[in-house]
Amino acid sequence: MATTLDLHCHSEASEDSRAPVEAYLNWIKLRRHERPLDGIVLTEHRQFNRAADYRALEDKFGIVVLKASEVETDYGHVLVFGVNDDILRRFDFSNVRLNAQELIDGVAEMGGVAVPCHPGRPNVGLCEHYEKKPPLENVLAVELLNGGSRKGENERTELLVTRHGYRTTGGSDSHLVSLIGLCATRFEADIRTIEDLVRELKGGRYEAVDFRPRRKAIPRAVHVEAR
Amino acid sequence: MAVQYDPALIGRVFEETEPVPVTAEQIKAFCRAIDETNPLFTDEAAASAGANGGLVAPPSFAVTFRNGRDFFKHVPRFGTRGFDAGKDVEFVAPIRPGDKIRLASHVKEIYEKTGRSGSMVFVVIRSTLSNQNDEVVAHIDHRFMSRT
Amino acid sequence: MANHQAKDFGDLEIGDELGPEHILVSKDLTRLFVRVAHMDSPRFTDDEAARAEGLPGAILPGNMSLSLLTKLVTDWIGSSGARLARIGTTYRSPVISGSSVTMQGFVTHTDAAERTAEVDIWIENEDAERLVIGTATVHFPLKK
Repeated sequence: MATTLDLHCHSEASEDSRAPVEAYLNWIKLRRHERPLDGIVLTEHRQFNRAADYRALEDKFGIVVLKASEVETDYGHVLVFGVNDDILRRFDFSNVRLNAQELIDGVAEMGGVAVPCHPGRPNVGLCEHYEKKPPLENVLAVELLNGGSRKGENERTELLVTRHGYRTTGGSDSHLVSLIGLCATRFEADIRTIEDLVRELKGGRYEAVDFRPRRKAIPRAVHVEAR
Repeated sequence: MAVQYDPALIGRVFEETEPVPVTAEQIKAFCRAIDETNPLFTDEAAASAGANGGLVAPPSFAVTFRNGRDFFKHVPRFGTRGFDAGKDVEFVAPIRPGDKIRLASHVKEIYEKTGRSGSMVFVVIRSTLSNQNDEVVAHIDHRFMSRT
Repeated sequence: MANHQAKDFGDLEIGDELGPEHILVSKDLTRLFVRVAHMDSPRFTDDEAARAEGLPGAILPGNMSLSLLTKLVTDWIGSSGARLARIGTTYRSPVISGSSVTMQGFVTHTDAAERTAEVDIWIENEDAERLVIGTATVHFPLKK
């Protein structure tokens, strides 16, 4: 059974997000017709939220809630799925200057998978780093669609994907409740656990999907003059 | 290397401002600057009949007190070109004409991260605004960002 | 003026809309705000000075963006008797002085015990890029 997951979102545990997880799940229920998600993966900034337990919410809403991390490296930001004690012992997620190659290889060795995110974003995306440094080895997939991207950034990532043959994921990068699920990843397989997710990211079939609304023409703005 | 700073910075009040008087004219000027026409904030007669019993400032007027002239001297600086990265404001009580507002500020937190602008250090300043009756009117967390 | 008004607390629903409000924030208005808010940096009033700092042109002060979003919420509150208890904003990208922006929001959560509503709010440019994002908490007192 296919599974559509928002692979990149932040709860209140991330210092710049204002979104309680339960509110995310209420919003997913409300907007199911526009953004048909089966689950979300919380990718908290520079930490793994070990203490959080979302099983009760999963049961209440019938929506999968998994935990992961977004860390910062010398090649930009990377999503780490399948975080375990070995990975946390080896890598200090609060370090904003992790070695990306060591991270990708070390996470893979220890049973997880690392996916560079928003590659088209200035300073913290692969595209800009690849202009100055050799490409990373052993990258399986990158985040093609990021819901917080500015004009041209997702498009820049497309070129990267074509050039390097990367597989692609999607995620909203939401820090607000109402932005959950704008972009997501559709997997052919059934995914209920983080182990399922890691297995499918490594060897399954998936693609980035775009649920962003088509832009409406902005009405003529009211000109507000100083009185 | 992680951002280096003196841990004693955190929590220590580094500035308390002299009280700043608030007038109805200042409130009305602020309303014009944000195109605010709500009579609770702009019309003394209408406001007297409202829930606050008199003219009050729009809630965001609280951020206009900023801090005293020594504020930016005492905020820890890391790198160049500071920018306002955001604010969290808790509105406790309305601000009224005739109030005298003072601020007490301390460094709440310092952290670093990377983003579109590159490597950044964030300094979070907590300011508490009080009126002449020592009643708290607002708490403001200012987040200042410097690029390193 | 806001298109939507807050209902009574008991009638609020997740997904209720704030705004949208479309405005052109003129350079004159920015200058007026800077004056009344005692903000004296030339990056808010002088395009060349702003560009010298690496900005695309003169920008709105963050306090002005916060104030405009606060007004979005208080417009929505209207005469309902509710009170804005808290607002939080993150400035992701500069709002250019003299540009057209849209402000809007949604109710995302209600708490019956506290009688509060949480709202998402943001400012976006003509390319639908969210320049300022935030949330607010609105408290609805019991009606007498």
